[in-house]
Amino acid sequence: MKKEQNEQQEAPQGGLSRRRFLGATAAAGVVGATGLGTAVMSREAWADAAMEARNKAVVHPGELDEYYGFWSGGHCGEVRVLGVPSMRELMRIPVFNVDSATGWGITNESKDVLGHDNTYLNGDAHHPHISMTDGRYDGKYLFINDKANTRVARIRLDIMKTDKITTVPNVQAIHGLRLQKVPQTNYVFCNAEFVIPQPNDGSEFALENSYTMFNAIDAETMEVAWQVIVDGNLDNMDADYTGRYAASTCYNSEKAADLAGTMRADRDWVVVFNVDRIEAAVKAGNFKTIGDSRVPVVDGRHGSELTRYVPVPKNPHGLNTSPDGKYFIANGKLSPTATIIAIDRLDDLFDDKFDDPRDVVVGEPELGLGPLHTTFDGRGNAYTTLFIDSQVAKWNIEDAIRHYNGEQVNYIRQKLDVHYQPGHNHASLTESRDADGQWLVVLSKFSKDRFLPAGPLHPENDQLIDISGEEMKLVHDGPTYAEPHDCILVRRDQIKTRKIYDRDDPYFASARAQAEKDGVTLEAENKVIRDGNKVRVYMTSVAPTYGLTEFRVKQGDEVTVYVTNLDTIEDVTHGFCMVNHGVSMEISPQQTSSVTFTAHSPGVHWYYCNWFCHALHMEMGGRMIVEKA
Amino acid sequence: MMMKRILLVMTVLIGLTASPVWSQAGLQPQLDAMAEGSVLTLPAGTLPSLRVTVPEVTIRCHQDTVIDAGGDGHAVVIAAPGATLSGCRIRNWGADLNHLDAGVFVTRAAEGAVVADNDLHGPGFGVWLDATPDVTVRNNRIQGNPNLRSQDRGNGIHLFNTQGALIDGNRIRQTRDAIYIETANHNRIVNNDMSDLRYGIHYMYSHSNHLEGNVTRNTRTGYALMQSKRLTVVNNRSENDRNYGILMNFITQSELRGNRIVGVHQGQSGGVDIQGAEGKAVFIYNSLYNTFSDNVFRDSDIGIHLTAGSEDNQVSGNAFIDNRRQVKYVATREQEWSSEGRGNFWSDYLGWDRNQDGIGDVAYEPNDQVDRLLWTYPEARVLMHSPAVDTLRWVQQAFPVIKAAGVSDHHPLMRPPQSHSLSANLPERTPGQEAP
Repeated sequence: MKKEQNEQQEAPQGGLSRRRFLGATAAAGVVGATGLGTAVMSREAWADAAMEARNKAVVHPGELDEYYGFWSGGHCGEVRVLGVPSMRELMRIPVFNVDSATGWGITNESKDVLGHDNTYLNGDAHHPHISMTDGRYDGKYLFINDKANTRVARIRLDIMKTDKITTVPNVQAIHGLRLQKVPQTNYVFCNAEFVIPQPNDGSEFALENSYTMFNAIDAETMEVAWQVIVDGNLDNMDADYTGRYAASTCYNSEKAADLAGTMRADRDWVVVFNVDRIEAAVKAGNFKTIGDSRVPVVDGRHGSELTRYVPVPKNPHGLNTSPDGKYFIANGKLSPTATIIAIDRLDDLFDDKFDDPRDVVVGEPELGLGPLHTTFDGRGNAYTTLFIDSQVAKWNIEDAIRHYNGEQVNYIRQKLDVHYQPGHNHASLTESRDADGQWLVVLSKFSKDRFLPAGPLHPENDQLIDISGEEMKLVHDGPTYAEPHDCILVRRDQIKTRKIYDRDDPYFASARAQAEKDGVTLEAENKVIRDGNKVRVYMTSVAPTYGLTEFRVKQGDEVTVYVTNLDTIEDVTHGFCMVNHGVSMEISPQQTSSVTFTAHSPGVHWYYCNWFCHALHMEMGGRMIVEKA
Repeated sequence: MMMKRILLVMTVLIGLTASPVWSQAGLQPQLDAMAEGSVLTLPAGTLPSLRVTVPEVTIRCHQDTVIDAGGDGHAVVIAAPGATLSGCRIRNWGADLNHLDAGVFVTRAAEGAVVADNDLHGPGFGVWLDATPDVTVRNNRIQGNPNLRSQDRGNGIHLFNTQGALIDGNRIRQTRDAIYIETANHNRIVNNDMSDLRYGIHYMYSHSNHLEGNVTRNTRTGYALMQSKRLTVVNNRSENDRNYGILMNFITQSELRGNRIVGVHQGQSGGVDIQGAEGKAVFIYNSLYNTFSDNVFRDSDIGIHLTAGSEDNQVSGNAFIDNRRQVKYVATREQEWSSEGRGNFWSDYLGWDRNQDGIGDVAYEPNDQVDRLLWTYPEARVLMHSPAVDTLRWVQQAFPVIKAAGVSDHHPLMRPPQSHSLSANLPERTPGQEAP
């Protein structure tokens, strides 16, 4: 005590005594909480803030999430269902991949969707989007692209199964995909990324004779309605809230085949599609067809009445529509800017009322390095991922427009470090009129040191950020296996799923049709029908037994097993696995599933239930007896 | 040959007094008719856009010559190998970035061209090198048009897919970025003076380049180095840049030595303190196998921010001085920042050196709390250096949780390395001022 008094006396005039210094140290901790953010918070302040933020994100055992999240599985080819904010994985929906558990790619019902002649075992699913009515999610379908094999799939959200897959003709690599929002999702719009010669039959290889196309698929029939030839290539896209316009980014206006060449132009463009004019042109017969395809193809290259090209800074990537329907926002990638295009100026653009197509640009904020994708909170703010800065920038759209008009106004609200290299980001309900500004998911491409290492291959890191307040708060790191590109978050009340299958479900219509032909009642009979060397085995299943515990075929027979699960209790799913035959499938309550295989080896082959169903699940099985040929 | 050159020069000079405003039809045929390797001095007066088509020629300008493109397209196109354009005033070229409008557009054919001692003032690009090998761009003054929005201006010097360029001693003001380099390897960028810009040097996917003696001031990032290998970045300066002095993203096998980065603060603020937008003297992101030595990182919001697994970098002999926050290290693994018993100088180091060997006796570990304290109360340092052992221990023990995890320097330097002049009065050197 005495020592301290001495020091206080020795302190220079106006300087700090030791006691005051120690006091200042403690004060700095408090100041830090509001100044430099979490980095200099005191331990207590940090703990309180973290606790508060986490509490919102914690979903306790037995509680349900507020949101469904649908994640693309990237080159896994599947779609995953997560609960948000818990980030618990609820389900996987196989789409373009093969799934051993459900038998997707193995069963006849999945082959009805994939195509019985389908030979692709892979897919590359990027962009999941949910069907809409009047700009609001109607929970009916989810659509997703396959960049790897140029396909688009539809998932029925009542059963969360893929029910249609369409191969888009005349193009390669479907990338950007979005839906018509208004009046409802009549079209699935999708971009083919790479330019190819037409027809691509080996008679022509030159780049200058190559092009790509923008595609519209009828959302109900899943048939390709029309294709639009464009200049350059096509990357990401979005549609507006009038149902009349869609817009895509182009990063290769040069049509170069080398990396350097794609970067030469200082500006590439956003190409805007006029849906009404395209429909009218198709109706008037102003189209051609290519090769064997019967899809109408219209020409939307420079000079066409069907499109307009708006120059934007080089190699843009994401394109996003603000939920108020006012703006398309193109993200600069190699430019630190995002370009705001006023949708209400597009009528005049198409009517040639501007000298310069860039007159539709109303703002071009400088956000940081490598802007890739923008999402929205419904309160006028936008959130843009910055790949190089490894941050999310929160910015105000109207302030950015004022700044573009010369006002000295700050439009950046906050920048938040994310870990690491963010690609897509997606806020809750952001692609609909109902954008509610509660949660933001940032899909980071690298996780580096954020998780326990699991070998040289690393998971992605999908981070959950609370955006309900003024300040973005990181609340969760979510490791995901390769490689979600994007996700979509919807309120749980917007999705209505079936507890068990309806017996009339079209998902197994072909099995029902075959049973009818064979005079078999699927729900009651256990029968073997022989048809030449084809054998159809019909059986029911009720936990813990199959309707048939033995059936007999001849070596070389083509055997089809139909299993109908008669259980009516939620979650009592059966499996059917034939040992040593590569056969495995799911049969959920009131579902019929079927699988076809060749009985290649004489002898006894056991089959068993491989989806746990009952206390006597181990005992649920039977024998296939294969007689020598 | 010499006779021919003289005759040509005389012809042009005779024309000069007669007609101060030249038409394209008047001059272009003369340029096209030049003998290979000959020299032409363009006459005084206002000249239209020109195209250099004959190899090895030298085009100079009278002191009263102005090449005025009339607001459209390129002012000068150099399309012949070995051609030189020097000492010209070039004005009023086009602003159409869609067509790469440039003061001097050097085509792919113009291998070994030289653009020197020119004075350029216009809206689009200053000099565009279009995949041209071995070009020299030296001692030019390039001035952009500040009345245009930043993103609507061209870059000062744009290197597209070039090899072996020498960019030396240019003075660049108020363009978009001063020097933009993409997919361009084996270039030397030296002694350029760049200020009032978006980015000083904007870099993408360009390997084996040498940057030395450049200065950036008042930019929204001094040196944005991205996705590149084998760079030498030596003795450059960054003064009062915003956002980043040097940004290194996915940079490997590179050397940063003797650079001096001072006063990096947040950008785009409009006077508002934006969380997460702090200025960083150097940002090292996903960058490995580099050496950082003899650099000064000073008076910035953050001295050094390392993240995304930026490991296996050698960091020694640097001076971290009076940054609001010296180190922001976001990682879960530890890093040692000293080499062969020699670490870095840290202005907030609180240890002591009992054996007077110039190396601190206890390790330096960045501590946000102390950084902030010293930044807020500089006079506290006096107390810290007094019988401050217990103070140090107290501070370290009192706030263990906010210690930046992972980085330590077991051999901190007690004084800044001798090679640095730490006085406020830096010697001013503005290359390019000799140019007309």
